[in-house]
Amino acid sequence: MEEREKKRSVVPFGPQHPVLPEPIHLDLVLEDEKVVDVIPSIGFIHRGLEDLVKKRDFNEYVYVAERTCGICSFGHGLGYVEAVEKCMNVEVPIRAKYLRTIWSEMSRIHSHLLWAGLMADAFGFENLFYQCWRLREKNLDLVEMTTGGRLIYSVNKVGGVLKDITPDMQKVILNNLSELEAELRDVYKTFMTDYSVQERTRGVGVLTKEQVHDLGCCGPYARASGVARDIRQLGYEAYGELDFEPVVSNDGDNYARCDVRLREVFQSIDLIRQAIAKIPNGELSVPVKGNPDGEAFIRIEQPRGEAIYYVEGNGTKFLNRFRLRTPTFANIPGMCETMKGCSYADIPLLVVTIDPCISCTER
Amino acid sequence: MRIAMIILYLVLAPLLGGLLDGIDRRISARMQRRVGPPILQPFYDVQKLFAKQRIVVTNSQTFLMITYLVLMVFTGCMFYSGADMLMCFFVLSTAGIFLYFAAVVTDSPYSYIGGQRELFQEMCCEPAVLLTGVGFYLLEDTFETAKIVQADRSAIVALPGFFAAFLFILTIKMRKSPFDESTSHHPHQELVKGVTTELGASNLALFQITEWYENILMLSVIALFIINKNPWSIPAAILVVLAAYFLEILIDNTSARMKSGKMLELSWAVTIAAAGVNLLILILVR
Amino acid sequence: MSAKFTPKETIRVIEKDGLLREVMAMKSRGMRLSQACASYKDGKYELSYSFSDDETLDYETLRVVCDLADRIPSIHDFYSCASFYENEMRELFGVKIELIEPDYHNKLYRIKAETPFLPEDAKAEQKKQEQEISLSGADSDLDLAQAAADEKLASGKKEEK
Repeated sequence: MEEREKKRSVVPFGPQHPVLPEPIHLDLVLEDEKVVDVIPSIGFIHRGLEDLVKKRDFNEYVYVAERTCGICSFGHGLGYVEAVEKCMNVEVPIRAKYLRTIWSEMSRIHSHLLWAGLMADAFGFENLFYQCWRLREKNLDLVEMTTGGRLIYSVNKVGGVLKDITPDMQKVILNNLSELEAELRDVYKTFMTDYSVQERTRGVGVLTKEQVHDLGCCGPYARASGVARDIRQLGYEAYGELDFEPVVSNDGDNYARCDVRLREVFQSIDLIRQAIAKIPNGELSVPVKGNPDGEAFIRIEQPRGEAIYYVEGNGTKFLNRFRLRTPTFANIPGMCETMKGCSYADIPLLVVTIDPCISCTER
Repeated sequence: MRIAMIILYLVLAPLLGGLLDGIDRRISARMQRRVGPPILQPFYDVQKLFAKQRIVVTNSQTFLMITYLVLMVFTGCMFYSGADMLMCFFVLSTAGIFLYFAAVVTDSPYSYIGGQRELFQEMCCEPAVLLTGVGFYLLEDTFETAKIVQADRSAIVALPGFFAAFLFILTIKMRKSPFDESTSHHPHQELVKGVTTELGASNLALFQITEWYENILMLSVIALFIINKNPWSIPAAILVVLAAYFLEILIDNTSARMKSGKMLELSWAVTIAAAGVNLLILILVR
Repeated sequence: MSAKFTPKETIRVIEKDGLLREVMAMKSRGMRLSQACASYKDGKYELSYSFSDDETLDYETLRVVCDLADRIPSIHDFYSCASFYENEMRELFGVKIELIEPDYHNKLYRIKAETPFLPEDAKAEQKKQEQEISLSGADSDLDLAQAAADEKLASGKKEEK
């Protein structure tokens, strides 16, 4: 479509586009190759998962919550069971908390490496994409060894966890992570120092700290603009006993976001090492009696940012309400803001840089 | 002799071009730690494309793609028959225009922007390509390839700057990162497949074959820098060509895609610095 | 050891008419809008607006309990990112939030069914309550403002044509 007087064209971006990991539709109003306006629309993958609480009892619903998304699946299961546990005042055994922490960090590693590959693909560096995903395979091998699944872990239940990480497995994990770390250093160096990569990432999609606050952005997206907050600092699960600082950068552009996410992978490897060193013996779960009654808010730090889980019970085995607010939902306004005035070639980068997980956003 | 060369080019160029394409994909895959497709895969692909049902957006697209192919082949035939090199380069640019038309005649926004970028790419390559012709003229007093291959010395000795500039824009011509702006061999760019988004079935096969002809022509220009009247220069030229091809694959696998503005800056900067300085030296030495 | 946080997490019930004032207070304290959601319980809507303090990680939720046909004003003037949440609340639960900017007119999720998260008996109850209100002729400020906004949209569409 073209209006000849204004020389504007509207390019439909998505929902099917090779660069997008998940379907989102953007109507981009272009003048030559400069984007003047962005009109987002979602709704291609809405499944109404939150309504299924009425049909699946609160124990079974873990499996539904996990399947909200393939990339952040462990976090969703974790947030849900934590919310129900808070509602029912269930105290999970300490070993289960450590195990959940370890799997949570593995989930973060896999998610960030997936994102790094997509980012490399978005700026046309296919070789780097393959290297990142090859590293991710190492991580997925660990996940498969410990849980039996690669993306959907299914190890959470209300009251604890279903599987254990034995000392043998722990040795394998530590070896594997050392190898991953060594290879990741090369990948990190390429992202940070390669000339053509810096051409595409430096100065692109800049958001200041104030803008990030006003638009309600969270997670690595906000931390790359200088907001030094990480929800893991709340100390949920075993995070209260581990030593870490939020990974922050101040530039607020795509380069800073690459930096923050890749450094977080190094941080996750370190956290897993700390957790494995400190993990105590104990039970894997406690029996849960009764039904949830009351409400609870839980916040956890998903790889993409702050995820909120709200559970409201009414004394029956079916919950009244489950609400999942995902970090991408909060970051989309930030994405639209960065797109105004950018060049068309930057659009895939600006979409991928918020680490979009549209299936989480829409449930 | 000329007729023999023309027929050799007509027949061998697509075969060699396809084979080089297959080797390219295999080596790239190995660099990316994958297995990669069989070397004859490009031929299987073209065969499959011809077998597909023809669905075009407008019928003029077929005519435009055929013209693109014919002009490209014509350029190559002229080059191999020993004709005027500058004329070859002008016909080459004209061929590119037909690809642009084939892209914009559809109403697809991706194709349209891809077409604009194709013209932009032409603009980035033109100075180096034309200066190459000028360099040969200043050295040998002729544009005719038939006479240039009979020179006493390899042209590269006197024209290293022109060689460097041409090698630089070869990345653009061969549609490799960092300069695969208008279309790429990988579909994950923002324009989907850019210029070739709306090409399908036999039109896409024609595009593929034309690319092979074009690649062989570009590599022949590289060879022209090396060939002289000594018959040993021919294997030497083949080695240099293969080395240049490998260099392109290496660059493709070690860089991200740059934006069009940067492509223009870099290509003109290198052309002016390398070819321009070489040109000045040649003029002064005459 | 890394810094320890002991945040306060509170849920405070407020009146529907005090919503805008409370949200303005949150904004002036520098709180970030974390999420907004709706729930249907015992014949009423429970709206939760959650705010987070990024310095101390405190978490405050404003709870508005309202009837099915009550009109709720949009808070997008204070928090522009609220529009997605409000569109969702309206589309899934049928909460009557007005003056949302941008307004997706119940097409955010492109669902075929209307207000799928609201049970059938509640939908009937909501219609009944709406009829009662329109019969009693209560014209709120919101009503007039919404009518003005709708008219502006309609005239804008006419101009484009």
